[in-house]
Amino acid sequence: MKKVLTVLALGATLGFGAPIDGYMQSLANEAKKADSSFKGFDAARGKQIFTSEHIGKKGQNISCASCHTNDLKQSGKNTFTAKVIDPLSPKVNKERLVDAKNVEKWLKRNFNDVYKREGTAVEKGDVLTYIKNY
Amino acid sequence: MKKILISAAVGILLSGVSLFGAENKSVEKVYQKECGSCHMAYQPQFLPQRSWNKMMKNLDNHFEVDASLDANDNKMILAYLTSNAGDVKASNKHFSKMSNSIASSETPLRISQTPYFLKEHRGIPKRLIEQKEVKSLANCSACHTSATQGNYSERAIKIPNYGRWED
Repeated sequence: MKKVLTVLALGATLGFGAPIDGYMQSLANEAKKADSSFKGFDAARGKQIFTSEHIGKKGQNISCASCHTNDLKQSGKNTFTAKVIDPLSPKVNKERLVDAKNVEKWLKRNFNDVYKREGTAVEKGDVLTYIKNY
Repeated sequence: MKKILISAAVGILLSGVSLFGAENKSVEKVYQKECGSCHMAYQPQFLPQRSWNKMMKNLDNHFEVDASLDANDNKMILAYLTSNAGDVKASNKHFSKMSNSIASSETPLRISQTPYFLKEHRGIPKRLIEQKEVKSLANCSACHTSATQGNYSERAIKIPNYGRWED
């Protein structure tokens, strides 16, 4: 039986498109470890992270909303290349927040692009909470 | 026992699908997804192998944008780019002219700064390039309506707020 569970667990771990909940739980664990007073992620803090402007990697003043717009249910546009970006809200775009590997990749990239550093566990969880509930 | 075997089979199947899924999907699809999210997935023939090797080593700072990939995806995409690069494969006259215009001592990273590209685009007014529908010469498909299919013929050019372009 133990073997079966191991095999099943392996299947789930390696699974493409692993649900985002597991990833958010691991961010929550990390946040709790860094600060025992951590109470949970917050969409309002996430909104602040998403909409506030910073001098980004290109030396220009940008925010996440510069490309994704302030309305996450609408398409955005890459402010440097003019490429259309599909809406971020999973309520209108079923492909959003379904693949943890993809989500992690974009959080790393886009935090670097806007904040010139990677996000902390709390920041990443807050932004995801904002997007998820938008 | 039967139940165990079925569970095990499902487990193996699941892990198998995810392990080999990426290979089943054509590598080109991965390239389209990973590189085409931010800009047109330029045909690999635009640049020589040495350019792609250099490009893919520095994705953390890809024209001042973080475009980093995990090691496996990077390796897979690099293999696709180098096996279809301009110095090994040029399927039409534009790609071979482009490839021939690049000196062997050069390792360009910007397609838009290669000699043939510059020559072909030199007559275009700045305002048509900088307008919001285009933004820069890197946005091929803004004017080359069949760019994603690798067709850069003059007939397929339509510049926003201008129209057809003839030399």
